[in-house]
Amino acid sequence: MSGFFDTLKGWLLFAEPAPREQFILRENESEGDGSLKNSQPEGTTSSKKRRRQKGNGNDAGATQPISRRLADNLSAIKERFNVPTNSDVMIREFDIIVGKKAIAAFMIYYDGMVDRKVVNDDLLLPLMLLSNLDIKSDEARVPAYIRSHLLTHNQIKVVSALDQVVGEINFGGVGIFVDGMDSAFTADVKGFEHRTVERPNTEMVIRGPQEGFTETIRVNTALIRKRLKDEDLIVEDVLVGLRSKTPCAIMYIRDIANDSIVAEVRRRLKSIQSDYIHDSGEIEQFIEESTFLTSPHMVATERPDRVAALLTEGRVAVIVHGSPFALVMPTTAFELVHSPEDHYVRVPYANLLRAVRILAMTVALLLPGLYIAITNFHQGMLPTGLLLSIEAARERVPFPSLVEILIMEVSFELIREAGIRIPGTIGPTLGIIGALILGQAAVAASIVSPILIIVVAITGIGSFAIPNFSYAYSFRILRFGYIILGALAGFLGISLGLFLHGMTLVTSKSFGVPFMAPFAPRTAGDLGDVVFKEPIWKQERRPDYLEPKDEVRQPKISRGWIGQQDRGGDQHGE
Amino acid sequence: MESDIVFGRWEAIALIVNTICARIFLNFPRSMAEDAGTAGWLETIYFTIITFLLFWLISKLYAKFNRQDLLDIAELGGGGILRVVSGLIILALLLFIGTIILREYSENMKIIALSDSPISFVMGFFAVAMAVAAYLGLEGIVRSHAIVVPQIILALLFILVAAVPYCKPTNLLPVLGNGGYGILGKGFLRLSTYSPLLYLFLLPPFIKDQKSFKAVGYIALGISAFLLLGSVLVYLLAYPYPTQLEYFLPVFQLARLINYGRLFQRLESLFVITFAAAAMHYLSAILFFAIHVFKKTFKLAYHRPLILPFTAIIFTLGLLPNNLMTVIDLETKVSVRFFWGVTFILPIILLSLARIRAVSGSAPRSQGPPGKNKAGAPKESGER
Repeated sequence: MSGFFDTLKGWLLFAEPAPREQFILRENESEGDGSLKNSQPEGTTSSKKRRRQKGNGNDAGATQPISRRLADNLSAIKERFNVPTNSDVMIREFDIIVGKKAIAAFMIYYDGMVDRKVVNDDLLLPLMLLSNLDIKSDEARVPAYIRSHLLTHNQIKVVSALDQVVGEINFGGVGIFVDGMDSAFTADVKGFEHRTVERPNTEMVIRGPQEGFTETIRVNTALIRKRLKDEDLIVEDVLVGLRSKTPCAIMYIRDIANDSIVAEVRRRLKSIQSDYIHDSGEIEQFIEESTFLTSPHMVATERPDRVAALLTEGRVAVIVHGSPFALVMPTTAFELVHSPEDHYVRVPYANLLRAVRILAMTVALLLPGLYIAITNFHQGMLPTGLLLSIEAARERVPFPSLVEILIMEVSFELIREAGIRIPGTIGPTLGIIGALILGQAAVAASIVSPILIIVVAITGIGSFAIPNFSYAYSFRILRFGYIILGALAGFLGISLGLFLHGMTLVTSKSFGVPFMAPFAPRTAGDLGDVVFKEPIWKQERRPDYLEPKDEVRQPKISRGWIGQQDRGGDQHGE
Repeated sequence: MESDIVFGRWEAIALIVNTICARIFLNFPRSMAEDAGTAGWLETIYFTIITFLLFWLISKLYAKFNRQDLLDIAELGGGGILRVVSGLIILALLLFIGTIILREYSENMKIIALSDSPISFVMGFFAVAMAVAAYLGLEGIVRSHAIVVPQIILALLFILVAAVPYCKPTNLLPVLGNGGYGILGKGFLRLSTYSPLLYLFLLPPFIKDQKSFKAVGYIALGISAFLLLGSVLVYLLAYPYPTQLEYFLPVFQLARLINYGRLFQRLESLFVITFAAAAMHYLSAILFFAIHVFKKTFKLAYHRPLILPFTAIIFTLGLLPNNLMTVIDLETKVSVRFFWGVTFILPIILLSLARIRAVSGSAPRSQGPPGKNKAGAPKESGER
């Protein structure tokens, strides 16, 4: 109850606004020495108190050191991993022969998370058996000897803090502790089961790459890197989640992306203070500017080719382990209407697709509201024949058109939700129920008019044509608002809805970039790929509103052969 | 006083064009016909030329005052007292325009689309639009203008071009219409048509520099003049003189004329949405500037607490006139007769005073330390 009064008080009385630092995208000339260097990432280094003190593992320092006594390390590890309660924690004790003496050691890993063959062949075998061989070396120090001559695995790290070892083990690594060493070895031997690279489910294209992201971070970063063969493509690792320590990767092209955007993404990610993070959808909610704006503030895509294309424009991507969706930021309202296929098909086809999509969005958002407005308030605006058809169809319907359309829209939403949750084998049943009961039977029972079925069906098809599924959600929500406004005041209500919708969009920002850029505010640079697409050879500059370090994508004449033909002249004199 | 918000030329042009041209959707073409008869288009050209000359003079006087608005200049010219007096005059004008326009748009919307709804209900929609826009701030208002105004212009041009086949050159005869007094005498008072230029004199803190100020003024005047003249010409050409005086919404009537086959007719629906969009943007700009002027006149720190009271005042005052005829009568008696003076004469007086005091070296230092005003309030951002 007090919450209600506080809210009421907040509405009625003015309170001094709390100062809130707003991220402002800086131009690149303010970046200091003018070199293209990014600021370097910060160093990356079981109780609730310990976790809160140590954060999510991104901060160096404040970690428990590794003891020189193996027994201490063993007990510390057992305590941290709750051995023997935890049944999948494997601890293997053994001896290593270094020179003429046997040194006690143990290895720890999670069963099922590691590749057993690699552990046996590349770690245990050389440590336990090959150490008996006569190795020609005058290396006296034990750690260096083991690393240089015994561990044959390709990814070995020497770490000095227990938390670093724990982090590696949690992510499918192996920790090796050796008696007398105040450091430990960790080996990346991930072998957990994961989905292979498959076709993306939500962003299908006819022409273009057919690979989608998986749930494994390194597979995903590799899918991007294999497309962008550029050593300036940076992959910065960040751990998010106080308990889950979910590995995330910030990706950007060092000499294109604006430093302040990269820094802001890094700052927001590192500031997350949640215990478990499972998916990029959760990260999105933690780092977006406005929680209640219906439009998404970043592109969520499961296509590596799309991420690669967006990175080349100067954007920043976040890959989250466990999620097949990458987040790309900043974004604008216009980019959410683009499909990856637009880049791969010829200009006339791409523009046709864009026009169809704009029409689909307009229909998905406004058609039911306009239907209500016209049938309730502006009947005179319809051609007489059409008006008579509508009225004849509605003659026997007992409900007002608002109730009629709400019944159908709610039913359609129910079918849509049920269609996602229903097991695949009984999916066709849902189609039959939807088509027969809601379509034919509702009309036959005079509960709704046939024309309304057409309106709702076209609206539904329109919403399916929106390429970004988050954006489609936004339209689904707002559609109900437009229906109510259309029922309240006809076109005036619809106009008010459009005005308020537009105002919220133009005042929104995605990581400092206005959401309606480059039109509001109108920014410099060409508009070659904003609403409609210009030929690829005319898209010479990167989006100006991203303030990229390198604005030029290609020279004015990017088709060298045109110049050659001009000099020589072709057979048509062109 | 400089602002944190700086927007580009196009945003400012769109704002000024909409505030001038929104009258096209009301009764501007008809009022030209009332003044000068079939020579209404000559009257439009006449007062447009005078407006250009006056703006040229004002921009010359403005040359020395970079990124300072009319209230800053009033303070330079006559100290705090002149600032308060000028602020109150401008505020009265804005409140009057806001009230009249809100009622006029609502009445017209009621007549063309919502005949059964009470006027307060219709006004409520516009009031919500202007209050929300003012809450979101000037940045949102100008950006929204930047996107929507080109569409409004296109829709208007579409209606005008589609009505061209109904135009008859003989409808413009006699060329001089009601004669010299109608064109030149009444036409001079119609300088008030360009009274929204006043907003431009409040915009300098938000515009980059003096060059942009001049460019915005001239381009906005040019586009507005083209649209005003186009609408008057098409209206006068499409209807004979007696009929020109009958219609209260000329562009709506032009839209109703359009009929190309069975499908392509009744384009007045396009008019309704364009009309409402123009009105909401215009009203949001008026409310924001009224609050901005009040805040700046009395050096207040925040503008958001003023939104609800000002909206309530405009809404309540808008309910006072008995009917649309009273509103139009009030508009003719007050707006047309006096607003050209506030728009053009007041700035000339204030700028002249400020220049004189600047030359004599006695101008008060109105600017506080960077980022603070005299009340020690945070730097103005227009968003609080």
